[in-house]
This record gives sequence, C-alpha cells and structure tokens, in this order.
Amino acid sequence: MRRYILLTLLCVGMVFGVLAEQPKYGGTLRYATIGEPPHLDLMLVTSDLASTIGQHIFETLFTFDEHYAPIPLLVDTYEVRSDGREIVLHLRQGILFHNGKELQAEDVVASLERWGKYGIRGPIMFQHVTAVVADDKYTVRILFETPFGPWQSLLAFNNGGPMIIPKEIAEAAGGKPLTPDQYIGTGPYKFAEWIPGKYIRLVRFEGYKSREEPPTGYGGARHAYLDEILFIPVPEAGTRLAGVQAGDFDYAEMIPADLYSVVKADPNINTYLLRPPFMALLFRNTKQGIMANNLMLQAVLAALDMEPIMKAAFGELFELNGSIFPKGTIWYSTAGTERYNQANLDKAKELLKEAGYAGEPIRLLTNTSYQYMYQYSLVIADQLRKAGMNIELRVYDWATMVKYRAQSGEWDLFVTSHGPIPDPALLTALSPTYPGWWDTPQKNELVNLFNTTVDFKDRYAIWEKIQALWYEEGSCIKLGDFYTLNISSAKRVGGLDDPHQPPLLWPYFWNAWLKG
Amino acid sequence: MAAYITRRLAAILPTLFLVLIIVFFLIRLIPGDPAAVMLGPDASPEDIERLRHLMGLDQPLMVQFGRYLLRVFRGDFGMSIAFHMPVTKLILQRLETSFLLALCSAVVVFCLGVPPGILAAVKRNTLIDQFLLMFALLGASIPSFWLGLMLMLAFAVKIPLFPTSGFSSVFQTGNLANFRYLVLPSLTLGFVNSALVARLTRSSMLEVLQEDYVRVARSKGVRESRVILKHALRNAAIPIVTVFSFTFAGLMSSAVVTESVFALPGVGRLVVESVLRRDYPTIQGLMIMIAFLYLIINLITDITYAFIDPRIRYD
Repeated sequence: MRRYILLTLLCVGMVFGVLAEQPKYGGTLRYATIGEPPHLDLMLVTSDLASTIGQHIFETLFTFDEHYAPIPLLVDTYEVRSDGREIVLHLRQGILFHNGKELQAEDVVASLERWGKYGIRGPIMFQHVTAVVADDKYTVRILFETPFGPWQSLLAFNNGGPMIIPKEIAEAAGGKPLTPDQYIGTGPYKFAEWIPGKYIRLVRFEGYKSREEPPTGYGGARHAYLDEILFIPVPEAGTRLAGVQAGDFDYAEMIPADLYSVVKADPNINTYLLRPPFMALLFRNTKQGIMANNLMLQAVLAALDMEPIMKAAFGELFELNGSIFPKGTIWYSTAGTERYNQANLDKAKELLKEAGYAGEPIRLLTNTSYQYMYQYSLVIADQLRKAGMNIELRVYDWATMVKYRAQSGEWDLFVTSHGPIPDPALLTALSPTYPGWWDTPQKNELVNLFNTTVDFKDRYAIWEKIQALWYEEGSCIKLGDFYTLNISSAKRVGGLDDPHQPPLLWPYFWNAWLKG
Repeated sequence: MAAYITRRLAAILPTLFLVLIIVFFLIRLIPGDPAAVMLGPDASPEDIERLRHLMGLDQPLMVQFGRYLLRVFRGDFGMSIAFHMPVTKLILQRLETSFLLALCSAVVVFCLGVPPGILAAVKRNTLIDQFLLMFALLGASIPSFWLGLMLMLAFAVKIPLFPTSGFSSVFQTGNLANFRYLVLPSLTLGFVNSALVARLTRSSMLEVLQEDYVRVARSKGVRESRVILKHALRNAAIPIVTVFSFTFAGLMSSAVVTESVFALPGVGRLVVESVLRRDYPTIQGLMIMIAFLYLIINLITDITYAFIDPRIRYD
C-alpha cells in the first residue's frame, strides 16, 4: 500500500513539475539594467542596452541562429544572382507594424537607404551598393557594384544595424535619432513608455506574426508570453543582485565577476554567461608619436602577461585567446597568435632598444566609466613600466576619453573593448578612420579583397592573412575574451534554459514566461 | 519685513541669469560632447561629426548661447539630448522623488540630530554623552553606499519589509503606501547627515547653557525642562537652523550615492547622468533649479531667524 501511495505521489509530483515548466501567458517581467540607453534608434547607436531593448520592438531582415550564423527573419526566401552582385529578397507577407500598417518592400527600401546614409554600420555595406529597389510589394533587390561578402551578416546585425521601420518614419527622421513616438517596428513587443530614471515599458504586440520554425538563437518562432517587460535602470550592481534575491526583479544584467561564486551557489538564482564573449583591447597610435613604430608594438606584445591583466578586471570570467574571434565561432584562427601573451620582459627590453626608445613618455588613456577598462589598464601600465616604458596613465570619464582619442596628438595607447560581431568586416580596428588609424597599403588591399569575396572558404583564408598582419603592424592588441554575467530568479522566470536559445549577447524575452 | 522679502526676491532673477551664463560656458569647457556619448564606443569620427552637425553643436558658441537665451526668455529650457523630452518636464518628474526623500531624511536627521544633541549637552561628560558622541562619529564615518546596501540586505532581502529599490509616485497615485520605497533611503541619508546636526546642537547648547540668563532662570526655580527647551534651545537654534536648512537643500540636490544605490529617480542622479552624457540643456536647467532652490532656502532661513530671535530686524 505504502508503495502505491509513494508511486502516486511521485506521478503527481512529476505531472506538476511538467506543468510548472509549461509556457504560460501573462505577467510583467522586471529586468534590472545598468542604466539607460541613449535612445532606441538601433541604426544610430551601438549601445548593447539599446540592442537588448530595441530588438523586442524592431526586427531586421535576417537574424542569427544559435551558432551565430545569419538566417532569415523578415525575409521569407532570398536569391543570390550575378556572382553576388545582385541579391533578391522575398519578404514574408502579412507582417504588421505596430501602427497597423503592413510591411512592404517600400518600407524596406526606405529603411535600408536611411541606414546606408546615416546608420553607424550602413556605410560599410552601402559603399558597395549601387541601388536598392522594390520590384513589387514584397520583393526587394539590392544591387552591388562588386560582390560584397558580409551582406547577410550586416543585414542581420541590429546593433547600429538596419532595423526595418515604416517608410514615412524613415524619411521623416533622416539622420536624427528616432523620437519615442517613432518607435514603430514589427517585433513581438511594442514600445509603451519611457520614464527616464524609472523604466522603459514594452507591451505585447497582439498583431505579431511569428515565424513557424522551431526557435534557434534569435531566430525561429517568437512567442510573446509576457504581457509587459519593464527595463528598470539600477546602476548599483549590489542592488540588482539584492533585487533578484528579494523578488523585486526577475532578471538582472552585468553582475560583477567577483560575485560569480556567490550567485552560482544560490539555488534560487539562475546564472547566464553571455556568448560570444567581448574582446578586451589595447589600441596604439599608428599615425603619430612613439608608438607608430612597429617595433614598439612588438615590444608591447612581448611584455604583456595577459592572465593578470584579465584576472584583475574579470575574476574568473575570462578566456585567454589570441584569436581576434572567440573559439567556437567560424572566424576563429590561430594565425599570428604566437605573438600573443609572451610575458617576456627581456625580449621587450631588447625590442625597445632596437626601436631606439629613450624613455619618452607614453600616454595611456583610460576611463573610470567602464570600471573593467580602468582595472586592466592599471595592470597593463605596471607591466609596461617593468619592461622599461615610461607610461603616463591618463584617467578620464568615457566622453572625455573619446574626445582625446580622436586627436592623434593626444595619446599613444588607449584601452577599450569590442562587442561580439558576426563578421570581421565590422571590426572597428580595420577602419582606417577609427582612432589607431591602421591604414597601410597591404592591409587595405587585403580588407578590400576580403569584403569583395563571397565564398566563405576564400574569405576565411584572407581573414587568416589579415589576422597575421594584425600582429605585425596592426593598431590593436587583443588582451583576451571576457564574459558578461546575468542572473534571473529561478522561481519566477521560465523559458531561458532552452539549449537552442542560449544566452546570447543581447538577452531576449520572446519565448520566456513567468512561473507561478 | 515685507520690503526686505521683496528686495530679496527681486535679487533672485539677476543671480539666476548670472548662474545661467556661468553654467552655459563652463560645461562646454569639459572635453567630450553629447554626440560621442550618444553614438557609443564603436562609432567612427565621421558619425560623431555628422550627429554634432545635426544637433547644432558645430555652430559658434555665441550663436548657440543666443539661441538658448531666446528660448529661456520664452520659458523654454530646451529638449534633453539624452532623454528626448523637455528639460522642464524631466526635472519636474525627478523633483517629487528628491523632495520627498529630502523631507523624510530631514525628519530622520532631526530625530537623530537634535534631541540626542540636547541630551548630550545636558548630560555633558557622562556615559550618555560619550555614547551619543560615538554614535555621531559613526554616522559621520560610515559611507552611505555601504550603509544603504547593509540596510537593504537586512530589511529587504533577509527580512522583506521594504522594497530593495525604485519609487512610485505618491502625489500622482495618492497612495501613501508608496512611502515604503523611501524608508531605507531616508534612514541611510538621515543617519549619515545627522552626525553634523547632533554635534552642532551639542556644542551650541553647551555654549548657551553657560549664559547668565540660564543661570538666572534656574535660580528663579524655573523647571529644568523649561529652561532647556525654552530659554536655552531657542537661543542655540540659529546655527542649528542654518545647518539644517542647507542640509535639506543638499539632500534635495545631491543625494547621488543614495539615489544610485536605491535606484531612485531623483535630481542628484539626473545631475550625474547629464554630466556624463554631456546633456547640456539638462545640466543648464538643473543648475538653475538648484541655484533657485538654494536662494529660496536661504531666504526662508533668514526669515526664520527673525522668528527665533526677536532682536533680529530686517527693516
């Protein structure tokens, strides 16, 4: 008898367990953010927070699957013609904007044109584009002067990317950031209100038309189970953590690395390490000053011991990796990485001597707005001083550092970081106008060849050559990869543990629900 | 008195105009501009320059100042660059939180500062005095962010009596229960700020208790509580009122750390966010508001002196 009772209880428990994990509609998810984005016009901003929030409102033609490969989103099917000089996009039909208007080819053309003209990453693609035309209501054709390899990744990347908005809004806004009344997209959630300092509120878009494939990464089916999502700015990390513990928040981002063991041990908290990781970077000035000498680059590469640098800023949430792209991504390569993480002070001293360095001050710009940058810059300064370099650490806030780093006479080295990107074409360090100003004929030729090649194998071979050259004469030194730690309340939030929807760079909450 | 108040009120406008000029030019001396902050780390110099042009930041400074002045004379403080809403509306949204936080904190400051200060003076050089002095020293030494987090851990996480953070309007909703959001922040701010008031009350009272009129009152057999609260406290009150009023102004305008720890949408946080984002119109509006606040509190303090001490006459 006792066995039957136990068995019955077990079965009931299992049924309830399964039921508890079933998606359900309703509720407000409260997400504690580190601050507020400048705005939500994703074409004109590269803030990760803007992408996290904005991706629920706006959609792109393509997006990324769980392996970070581009797949269609607003596009139904596509064709590549004329050896990559012509791309034909067939749009999904019956997609509605939040203002009730149906998405049509003219909206895509207007959005792409605005992005090409004013968008942060638009000109990278549009310098190769000759025309974007609407063939009919649901067909868009993009014509390239020469084949352009990364077109699909660029159309999928929402950060500074081509979100699709109604034609009238795209034309009215021009180069100015959209205002909140213009936040009209096709996403599963629509913008409701933004009370600065309190929250940004999104509500479910009842007219949303989801794709039907199984969810994968940002792609596949998107179900808006939640009634609302509140993005609440909570600048203090301790408060974000305490808020999740106390049940005031359901999800919190950017928990400091030194709390990883604490949150990992708490059964009421789920932890997420966002992938792909960020890159920690040190730039040198190749245009002007002592660091323009390539031997000085080699001396810095020889001197740096990356483990203490990364550990100081990220605790245990980092990976030593000389490849510009992280392990597990399609662009990972070991080309040139024998020069990474040498930690050889004697060799550095020799190279400094060879470079004719005589103790001139080397200005290293850092900032306290991003604490991790400040933390690793302290260790870098210390290591370079031990190698015999006269480092002058100049500490500013982020805005001031951006101002100075744009002036080639004001600095020799500066620290920064770079978010994960799907294609090397998006690396800021490859742009000859980005501070660091890597602008040699050999590099420009390789980058040009890379961008105009369509076949992945050929592109990868060129990328390996670029990475090897990066270590010989580039403006940027890779320090390592680091992970962002986010947490959620294990009791409250469901749907975030699907292996096909891993925690990606910008957390997404379609297909997430609230338990209980 | 009326003439004095009118004179003081009339002086407010030129003072605010001077503040406006100083702030306008001073904030533009800080390197960096809103376009760079708005576009983020990966923006190219061309993108930044293009947005600067669209925002009119590439115009000569005097042209920008002239335009700003014309708008201010029409009562328009411009649009916030960072928050995309009129500066006046933005500041008004934040004022409620800051005002209520300052008010609740002032109650805590008063309760933890004035009665213990009087008690310490009356019980001078006793164990009570030593204990109260230690308590005041603790208040002055504890960093507010640490105290805030400890209170949060104790009374929001371990014993869930209050919310960890945030704020919901009391005025708009009429819901007095929303004061619960201010309990932990007010205790934090109040405790940290009460130390100065407690020490000042003690020293001020000690000075007055030595005066002849206190001795006379006692020799006439006046009750001790009446001697302390009526004769001594009233005469010791002027420095206390001065410090208390400026503490209140400070609580309203610069409780940055406490507002950040408890994620309160207040004025102090807005000041820091605006400076970091180089949101010029908001910084200008905020500085004028804060200057106005100090001028008004200063005036109220001066008027209060006359009520406390009948010998003070402004006419």
